[in-house]
Amino acid sequence: MLKVRNVSLAYGAEPVLENLDLDIATGAFVSLVGPSGSGKTSVLRAVTGLQTPLNGSVELDVDKCDVGFLFQDDALLPWRTARQNVALGLRIRGIAGDKALAEADSWLARLGLAGLEQRYPSQLSGGQRKRVAIAQVLALKPKLLLMDEPFASLDAIVRARITQELVDWVEREHMTVLLVTHDLEEALSTSDVVYLLSQGPRARIRSRYEVPIPRPRTLIETRKHPAFGALLDRLWCDLADEVNVAGAEAAQ
Amino acid sequence: MKTFFAKSWVRRTIALALLTAVWEAAARTGLLNPLFFPAPSRVAAVAVELAIDGGIWVHLQATFSAAVLGLILGLALGILLGFLAALVPVLAELLEPVMILLNAIPRVIMAPLFVIWLGIDLSSKVALAVVLVAVLVFFAVYSGIKNVDRKLVERVVTLGGGRWVLVREVYIPSVTAQVMGSLKVAVGFAFTGAVVGEFVASTRGLGYLLQFAQSTYNAALSFALILLIMLFVLVLFSLAEALEHRLLRWRHR
Repeated sequence: MLKVRNVSLAYGAEPVLENLDLDIATGAFVSLVGPSGSGKTSVLRAVTGLQTPLNGSVELDVDKCDVGFLFQDDALLPWRTARQNVALGLRIRGIAGDKALAEADSWLARLGLAGLEQRYPSQLSGGQRKRVAIAQVLALKPKLLLMDEPFASLDAIVRARITQELVDWVEREHMTVLLVTHDLEEALSTSDVVYLLSQGPRARIRSRYEVPIPRPRTLIETRKHPAFGALLDRLWCDLADEVNVAGAEAAQ
Repeated sequence: MKTFFAKSWVRRTIALALLTAVWEAAARTGLLNPLFFPAPSRVAAVAVELAIDGGIWVHLQATFSAAVLGLILGLALGILLGFLAALVPVLAELLEPVMILLNAIPRVIMAPLFVIWLGIDLSSKVALAVVLVAVLVFFAVYSGIKNVDRKLVERVVTLGGGRWVLVREVYIPSVTAQVMGSLKVAVGFAFTGAVVGEFVASTRGLGYLLQFAQSTYNAALSFALILLIMLFVLVLFSLAEALEHRLLRWRHR
């Protein structure tokens, strides 16, 4: 589905991330974790074309319009109602206004927002806004879903509920997902494969972790799986090593 | 009673009434020289006289026409140039220095020049109002587009939106909020342009009447005219506010 070949990304002169190779098979749920400044978000931006790599290539088996991007901030248009925000992507794809709005309403209902269609983002809670943003992306039926810490700003209960709903959705639709997160438990409980990036600048893939927990998954049960604890320990230790080594190098 | 005084409009009205009463008392007891500070009752009498006499209407019409025309044309020109400069970098390089220069000077000093170019009729007053308003609106639009929320732009781009979708869905609504923020100032500027233009050279208008009141040392007429101008600006302010509520209802809900 997605092949990232020898990609380097930079904001200034020095690359944040260097010579990244990543293969994501169709239907796989993959997470990228790593210290702050390791270029995780930049990888997603390069896949969507928002950022041009210094070198290397990003190959997609699907059309650009089959890629959905769920941002860290909900980034809804404040001057459009919930249904107009969801309908926007559909209208861009050429679906007529009324039909797009009807489809938007049905997506909002599926995400538990029936009755809130006419509200503006400022009139919705953080969790409701996030659901609108999810509806906006899912309504386009993406084959590849990119998520940049999409639930970081939510409280624990809302976060757990929305994450579970999204995982259910992804499993049902056999969607391919690339998730960027700081939350190691979230990465392991949702993903088939987790990649740990080293500390930037010039970050690279440090290690790869297969998550042998069968699907369909419930996030609570997944955390009780015997493989989960061991994997989480390993991932924590590797991340801590990475941060400590980087800290020692910076001190020298 | 307590809740009655808690309303800000009640407190403001009482403050205004108190100020008027103190002024009236000071003028009547001779504390203020009526030649310079006529009593409010005298000012009101002159205003009523002007309205009953009917001669004021032609002047009101002249000033109002110049201000409203200047406001509309200034808004249109400012919005157009602001958009062009923000979206076409070459035009920005041409327009920005000119606008910065125009913004740096008190633009009313151009009034005599407009009289030379356009004569003493309506067009020179409209031109001055247009320049005053257009420069203000240009910067509101230009900086509004330049400082548009990048997250919203990227969101629309990742949904597949092109340049026109971005203009329609992000830039225009974002700029509308900026322009609405400067609309009240623009109304004041439009009246400034019209009145100052009339002050410099004209045969009618409130500015012309003010000039006449000044040359005849008629402070009561001056105050009455200032009061009239304030009333008209307040009417336009409330219209601007209603428009702002309509266009930015997503903010006010």
